[in-house]
Amino acid sequence: MDSLKEDLKKQIIEQLNLEDLTVADIADDALLFNDQGLGLDSIDALELIVLLEKYHGIQLTNPEEGKEAFKSIDTMAAYIRKRKAA
Amino acid sequence: MIYIGAEVIVSPLGDTAEANWEALSVNRTGIALTPAVGFNKEDIHLSRIVGLGGPLRFQQLVIKALAGLKNRIDASILTSDRTMVLISSTKGALDDNLHDQFGETCSAVMQQFNLAHLPIVISNACISGVLALNVAGNMVGAGQYEHVIVIGCDVASDFVLYGFQSLFAVSDKACAPFDAARNGITLGEGCAAALVSGAKSVFKNTPLQLLSGTSANDANHISGPSRTGEGLVRSVSRTMQKHGIGAEEIDFICAHGTGTVFNDEMEAIAFDRLSLSEKPLNSLKGYFGHTLGAAGVIETAVCMQMMRNGMLIKSLGYRDAGTSQPLNIILENEPKKLRTILKTASGFGGGNASLMIRDL
Amino acid sequence: MKVITAYCNLRAGECLVNGEVVARRDTGSEDSWFKQIYKQHELAYPKFYKMDVLSQAGYLASELIKRANPGISEVYADDEIALVFANASSSAETDRRFIQSYQGGGSPSPSLFVYTLPNIVLGEIAILNKWYGENMFAVLPKFVPGFYLDYSRILLASGSRALLCGWLEVTAGSTDVFLFMVEEKEKGTEFNEENLLHLSQTGAVAAY
Repeated sequence: MDSLKEDLKKQIIEQLNLEDLTVADIADDALLFNDQGLGLDSIDALELIVLLEKYHGIQLTNPEEGKEAFKSIDTMAAYIRKRKAA
Repeated sequence: MIYIGAEVIVSPLGDTAEANWEALSVNRTGIALTPAVGFNKEDIHLSRIVGLGGPLRFQQLVIKALAGLKNRIDASILTSDRTMVLISSTKGALDDNLHDQFGETCSAVMQQFNLAHLPIVISNACISGVLALNVAGNMVGAGQYEHVIVIGCDVASDFVLYGFQSLFAVSDKACAPFDAARNGITLGEGCAAALVSGAKSVFKNTPLQLLSGTSANDANHISGPSRTGEGLVRSVSRTMQKHGIGAEEIDFICAHGTGTVFNDEMEAIAFDRLSLSEKPLNSLKGYFGHTLGAAGVIETAVCMQMMRNGMLIKSLGYRDAGTSQPLNIILENEPKKLRTILKTASGFGGGNASLMIRDL
Repeated sequence: MKVITAYCNLRAGECLVNGEVVARRDTGSEDSWFKQIYKQHELAYPKFYKMDVLSQAGYLASELIKRANPGISEVYADDEIALVFANASSSAETDRRFIQSYQGGGSPSPSLFVYTLPNIVLGEIAILNKWYGENMFAVLPKFVPGFYLDYSRILLASGSRALLCGWLEVTAGSTDVFLFMVEEKEKGTEFNEENLLHLSQTGAVAAY
């Protein structure tokens, strides 16, 4: 199990108040902003930027950059690893 | 007939409607780059009133505007029990008292001016001002009060600035409504007042006619403008219908025009759907910034000045078309007789409101 | 005649619809009081969890009123139901939480900021029901029936056919929520000052 991905799921549930969901409900490749996935909206996307800074010390100054990174848990984890390695 | 007049504007451009008009007629702006005010100590463009400081800034402004208005009317109506005062605002005196943002100001105003009734606060985000003017018109029209004074006021605060920064909605230059390169709002502070009344004789200068309008919700998103302009279309078409006014009679539109990509696009779509895209149109945010709950009253007061002075004021900050539907945005000041004008507003919570003013 | 056709009182310990208790707070529960009502009544609107307390209260009370008064949405066109709400402390509770998000090292929270306006609850109710009608939110020192009576008269004379009105005061220390529906009917509890005051205070139907 990838602990970064599990942590991300917990953080997303907490930061976005998705109290009706548990970590097990979120698949690694589920589309976060698709109604068939988590159905997040544009404000959630901005809240994910706050999350990245709060939990991972990563600053994102252009919301457009988040669009690719926030597609799924998989892409978020890859983005965090890339930023940390840089 | 319902009259509106005795308008007062207190803004970075001056303390009276006339002083503000003088500045607008030479396209002077209240917006300036303000050092280190952002959440990360960035320099930010703001429209702030120099010299407005200390505690009770909200109260100071409301009292100043009402005192200005008092000089322009038969002052005896202030204390009448047939007079109501409405205050339109989003955050009131938040910096003074988080838990009671309006109470103290309402009591102070009531006491100082010896009002018969405690003012009512209307807080509907950015449509508050237009909505309050409509409520005033409706109250007078229904005979509930003979005179209703509307005061729109909001002051700049870290709270609101940080909030819009968190939404990535603050422009990195002075806001540029409807321009292709627009990228957000510029916040402002200010206050305006006007008297709405059924009695022409209480105004020292000739009033105009208020054609009070309607509001409509987008039923779409709490913080994102509708993609179809549905609420704005419904509000404007109901307002025009209510008074039997056709598109051909409207001489000018004072739009909301915040300078965000999505808001201005929404308005362009709505005006296209309403067949109003050819009407001369401006946004006044380039002069005052976005004054939130005060915006509707400030901008309506400016419209009244435009009508009195027979002059269209250019939409400051606009250069190149940047909406999917074309608009006839005013590029230079231009003398023009204005008989009937339309003022609109849209805001968080999905609200849209509109009203019309007519020359007597 | 204008009639109060349904109403909901939501207080710190219990929730009543048309005077009948429909939920009691379980003080031993880990869930917030509003979440308890949401679960007990098997409401399904995940957005509920993202709302601030004002919007949660407005959502719950309006949904419970709709259940007690089925068919409201079908009887009226989508712009014929006006929303007229008021409270005393604006969005102070959410304002406080937003300030907390950026004081002490954190960053301002966008999802809290969008709820720092009292009229957002009107937007939430409009979105859920696809209601495009008139909206107004006023801040008043206390619940005054006259405010609703006066403004309702204006709206009902200018295109709105029904009203969902509310007093919505939710702070850290207290919950005082009273929502009511006003419609034109031949008989029922008349929409007047006395009945409004009575229903707002006691949660019991007037004895006549």
